[in-house]
Amino acid sequence: MYRLMVSNMNAIKFIIWSLSCLLFACNSTTVVLLPDSDGNVGQVELITDSGKTVLDHAYESAEAEKQKLPPTQKVQLTNENVRDKYGDILAKGPMVPDHFRFYFKAGKAALQAEAQEVLINSKARIQERKSCDLSVIGHADRVEGDDLNYLLSMVRAENVAKALVGMGIPQNCMDIRYYGESYPIVPTLDEVDEPLNRRVEIEIR
Amino acid sequence: MIQQGKANLMKGVVGKIILPVLLLYSAVGFSAERIGMVKTLEPSASAIREGVEVNLAVGSKIFEGDMVVTDSDGTVGITFNDGSMLTLGPGGKVVVDNYLFNLSEKKLTFLSQVLKGTVTFMSGAINKIAPGSVRFKTPTATLGLRGTKVIIEVD
Repeated sequence: MYRLMVSNMNAIKFIIWSLSCLLFACNSTTVVLLPDSDGNVGQVELITDSGKTVLDHAYESAEAEKQKLPPTQKVQLTNENVRDKYGDILAKGPMVPDHFRFYFKAGKAALQAEAQEVLINSKARIQERKSCDLSVIGHADRVEGDDLNYLLSMVRAENVAKALVGMGIPQNCMDIRYYGESYPIVPTLDEVDEPLNRRVEIEIR
Repeated sequence: MIQQGKANLMKGVVGKIILPVLLLYSAVGFSAERIGMVKTLEPSASAIREGVEVNLAVGSKIFEGDMVVTDSDGTVGITFNDGSMLTLGPGGKVVVDNYLFNLSEKKLTFLSQVLKGTVTFMSGAINKIAPGSVRFKTPTATLGLRGTKVIIEVD
């Protein structure tokens, strides 16, 4: 109840702030689109009351000076421009999360021989990062029924979590989740055998 | 037929109720409410939470509704439960108004306001699974993100 009141208060504060921007010179917004750590570039839309500008190439930038004016046309910056202006904040962000995967035989939840190396690598990363913030997420392919696969994905996740605990990673650092047949890597029709979907993923943050 | 039905029911009860409850007890240390964690901090920042100012440290939890604030020399980096990351530069104020990362019910939302200062944001699973679910508001605009990494400066 209190949280609802507080978030409503934030909304009201925001509305008052926006109204005052209509009357007085206000804060201008500048946006720059960057590639992610894999080099992929997404998209961002900058929207005001009068228009929108879409950025979809690396280092494109646009500005919105006032809510009632359209945003500026986009300009193309360079990596150098961006490092010059924003280098400091870019250097001080969190480490990008690490991901590891374990795979399973059809209908089984036991860790395979290959899992040993993945466990060792995961543990090394967890320790290097001094992380106590990981997700262990179980999945299944679409062979057999939904209920069984839900259970299977859960036991798979549990088995990986147990193995990590056995290597000294505290249980309370782990967020254990399982999604059965949902969120496959390779979408398939029902009852299709797909080894890539029979997996547990670890995210280390 | 009835035997099969009973077997399925047992599987259902065990799979959906008993085992998840046991699992919940074993995962009690991981707070179901926190949406992220402070990962980098130089030298200081705070969060205003339900009217109270809380000093942040590396490892501090971040909750929905938190207003994160830095003074003129502070920078703070936060990683959220879905793997997305937000960094707030000096003289900054950012609020995470809505954060939903519930894959079982397919509820995915990231809604934040940048009130002042500079923010960098790198998208994670919420954006990957539901592109268009990540939005930022500033005093002069709304931003709709479809991956990947952005700088948002309000000055």
